[in-house]
Amino acid sequence: MAQVARMMKQSVTPDFKESVSQTAASVVGVSKFFGKTVVLENISFDVAEGEALVLLGASGSGKTTILRIIAGLEQPYTGKIMLHGKDVTELPARERGVGVIFQSYALFPKMTVEKNIGYGLRIRKRSRKQIKQTVNELLSLVQLEEHRKKYPSQLSGGQQQRVAIARTLAYKPEVLLFDEPFGALDAQTRVHLRREIRALLRKVNVPAIFITHDQEEALELGDRIAVIRLGHIDQIGTPSEVYNNPATEYVATFLGAANILEGTIHNGHVEVGSVQIPARIDVAKFSEGQSVKLIFRPEDVSVSKTQTLPSGHACLLSGIVEEISFVGAYERLRIRLDPGGSAACDAGDTPYYLTTETPESQTAKPIIATRPKPESMATKLRQGDRVFIGLTSFTILPSDSRASPGPDSSK
Amino acid sequence: MSSCLPQPPAESGGINITLYGFSIMKESMEKAIYPGFAAQWKRDHNQDVRFTSSFAGSETITNQILQGVSADVAILSIDRDAMRLKQSGFVTSDWHALPHNGIVNKTPFVILVKQGNPKGIHDFADLAKPGVKVVHPDPVSSGGAQWSILAIYGSELVKSEKQSGEPDRARALQMLQAIWRNVISTPGSAREARTQFETGFGDALVTYELEGMLMKEAGKPVEIVTPQATIFSEHPVVVIDRNVTAAKRPVVDAFIQYLWSDEAQKAFVKFHFYSVTNNAFNEENKAFGHIERPFTIDYFGGWSKAYPEVIEQVFKNQVQKTK
Amino acid sequence: MRHVRGFDVARPLSIGMLVFMMLPLVFLPLASIFIFGTSNGLGNFWAALTAPEAIFALKLSMATSFWATLFNVLFGLFAAYVLSRYNFLGRNALIVTISLPTAIPTAVAGFALLLLWGPYGTLGRFLRPQGIQIMFTAGAIILANIFVTFPLAFGVIKPVFDTMSRSLEEASATIGATRVQTFWHVTLPSLRGAIVSGALLTFARAVGEFGSTILVSGNLAGRTQTAPLYIFAKFNEGQIEAANAIAIVLALFSFLIFSVLFFARDWLDVD
Repeated sequence: MAQVARMMKQSVTPDFKESVSQTAASVVGVSKFFGKTVVLENISFDVAEGEALVLLGASGSGKTTILRIIAGLEQPYTGKIMLHGKDVTELPARERGVGVIFQSYALFPKMTVEKNIGYGLRIRKRSRKQIKQTVNELLSLVQLEEHRKKYPSQLSGGQQQRVAIARTLAYKPEVLLFDEPFGALDAQTRVHLRREIRALLRKVNVPAIFITHDQEEALELGDRIAVIRLGHIDQIGTPSEVYNNPATEYVATFLGAANILEGTIHNGHVEVGSVQIPARIDVAKFSEGQSVKLIFRPEDVSVSKTQTLPSGHACLLSGIVEEISFVGAYERLRIRLDPGGSAACDAGDTPYYLTTETPESQTAKPIIATRPKPESMATKLRQGDRVFIGLTSFTILPSDSRASPGPDSSK
Repeated sequence: MSSCLPQPPAESGGINITLYGFSIMKESMEKAIYPGFAAQWKRDHNQDVRFTSSFAGSETITNQILQGVSADVAILSIDRDAMRLKQSGFVTSDWHALPHNGIVNKTPFVILVKQGNPKGIHDFADLAKPGVKVVHPDPVSSGGAQWSILAIYGSELVKSEKQSGEPDRARALQMLQAIWRNVISTPGSAREARTQFETGFGDALVTYELEGMLMKEAGKPVEIVTPQATIFSEHPVVVIDRNVTAAKRPVVDAFIQYLWSDEAQKAFVKFHFYSVTNNAFNEENKAFGHIERPFTIDYFGGWSKAYPEVIEQVFKNQVQKTK
Repeated sequence: MRHVRGFDVARPLSIGMLVFMMLPLVFLPLASIFIFGTSNGLGNFWAALTAPEAIFALKLSMATSFWATLFNVLFGLFAAYVLSRYNFLGRNALIVTISLPTAIPTAVAGFALLLLWGPYGTLGRFLRPQGIQIMFTAGAIILANIFVTFPLAFGVIKPVFDTMSRSLEEASATIGATRVQTFWHVTLPSLRGAIVSGALLTFARAVGEFGSTILVSGNLAGRTQTAPLYIFAKFNEGQIEAANAIAIVLALFSFLIFSVLFFARDWLDVD
């Protein structure tokens, strides 16, 4: 089922929900206060059967509290938790049947790998034979057969984590909760392990909720991502939705780098400095003269030495290359936009117009662009080169983009 | 829980008498008096009697009894301790009505010195000489220490009285003060003081004559110096009436009476106490020293006067405070 | 200190100094016990050791120390659990109070017990009419041992509780364990080392207790006389050899306990 979900990842969320699944877990209107501090405010979301949901947020955003409330380790102030249609809000942690993978793994140090994995079954008084069989199956699932007699302290971080997962799978949890599962690992293991977990989850088909502050991790692990900020969900959607169509400036900047230019809505266009960009359907949401932000990612910027840009790229402006840095997989350029009026793209296809009387401050600011290796090899740029700039895609948000305008605010 | 604690030797099938004694009573009681009485009682009543006992300073055991240890009988160094037990209601019978005023035995106070008497000590006065180190038990916990103070103080009174017809209290006080300037340690009981002296502390120890004789018997390098005038300490026995059950009463009473039997009195003499019943017994012990002018607590008018007038007025207020 | 051709002078010098400093402070006093205890021949030593009252005193010491240890380890566990898991008003005051007996002279501890449980004590006077007399029994010795060793096990166990990750217990709860199961399977095994060393420390300290015991036990040979009291009594009676025989046993015993503590550390802390 998770595979199906994966395949359908590019489709919009409502379709995905209707077509694939029942709800495995729901968080309904949960709020939490510590004293007078609001930790969570009216949080609601569902996790579908077999789905992996990532709660992404900075530390202190409240994401861990959500996880602990689902697990029953903390109580919400208002709201409820449903697991497979059953209200478990009043149940203690031990009766909820959720599996928690703690950041520290929380393996029992005085038990061997086997004993750790079998713990849930032992306290459920299962037969010796059944425990042995399940433990064997899980050991082979997480590929730790040869480490069965070892103690947690004798295992690597990744191995310990696999034990922790097997330990929860033993009692067939309703939902798996991962609390910063890769936080304690080095960069290489982290990447390797999250692919393994991704594959494992597909195999066992248990819904999972991950908590992380790492956007790369979120994009790779999640069928959907919920971006949490200050106890709110800013946006929830598939990775491509939240990445390509961020609902708020925060989402845009938290998930990868973003260039932000300020502008106003004018005559069906977004006016940024002296440039007018036809924004099609976006503009319908805004009123004439409203202040907006034009948000685009560095990789959405195409750069050309000539005025001719690849088709589909809206020619924006010209600028001077200020800095070139090589960042491994790609090349990063800092380009200072011309203070308006100096250059224009080929008039024929140009979808916007330049005016010359804009103050410098509006346009003479640097933007960041990235170019993949083949392109940077084909067209070498040097510091001081004058370039023409186009955008493949962008998002327009109102300037006071605190309130979420909704998930479908895209072009 | 008690089943998991070691059991005292067989409680059943016999009677147990718990006796608290002042320190130097130990040998004579354990080696002669207990077995002697047990044999007699067994012969007469076909019943086993066992003794449990603890020996420490007279004041210490009195305090323990006052705190509630389950003693049946106490043999004390000083009559004052028996009075204290009476005042607190532990002793209700009058021990002075027992034979010999309740006194079971006596022993004079002497000076112990190291073999060869290197400091040339021949009487109490020599203890006041500069450079003589004296070990003296602590009057707070030890009855023997109080006897010792009375011995020194009284000895000077007796001598001055003989010379001038009048006891010279000032001279006696001076002597006591001078000796106490030389006291280097005050152990808790006479027995503790002896052990300290035995391990090499001090040049002289004022103690019961019996202690010196026991030490000599054990081959310790000590000599006994018998003062010209000294006190006989007299040791009362009391029944701790509050603790003695009716069932135990006959055997306890029989034991008390036994203490004045010839058998017991001879045994005391064997362990270097003087008998109180028959002076002829005392002739048996050839080791007893000759005392020119012996005196007893009666010289001070009994304990009821000796304690407030000498121990408190003279010793505590004038000797200890000016030391 | 400099390395002279690869030879660090500081090393033998400081080791030598350490041993030299310990000589009059620890080694020689201990040695003299052994020398004196056996100076009259091993036969006498053995006779002194196997005297019924000596054996009884040793047994009584072991038994009373055992019960005091059992109580204090259980109490220490409970107290450490409560005081490291819950934060409440007066928590620090409680921690300080538990640690108090270490600073109170043991004689005062004994006296305090007498004042409470003695026939005229605060509680004792109400128990006396019921025929309950705790002072001057083995029970009193246990009470005194409990009092003077009160903070020892607690002191060893609490830091382990403090550093123990809460997530272990939380993990156990989410897996489905009850509090009791969690304590038994997860918390307790992690405390094994602390419990064993806390128990050994408590026991060693209780076996050697003197100041409070002499006040509350009644010091009856063969009845309420513990090994240290026996030693003291024999010393006072001038029977130094008898005193030393038991002292040797206690010294060896303590040496054994601390050797176990030292060498079994690896086993105790095994993960």
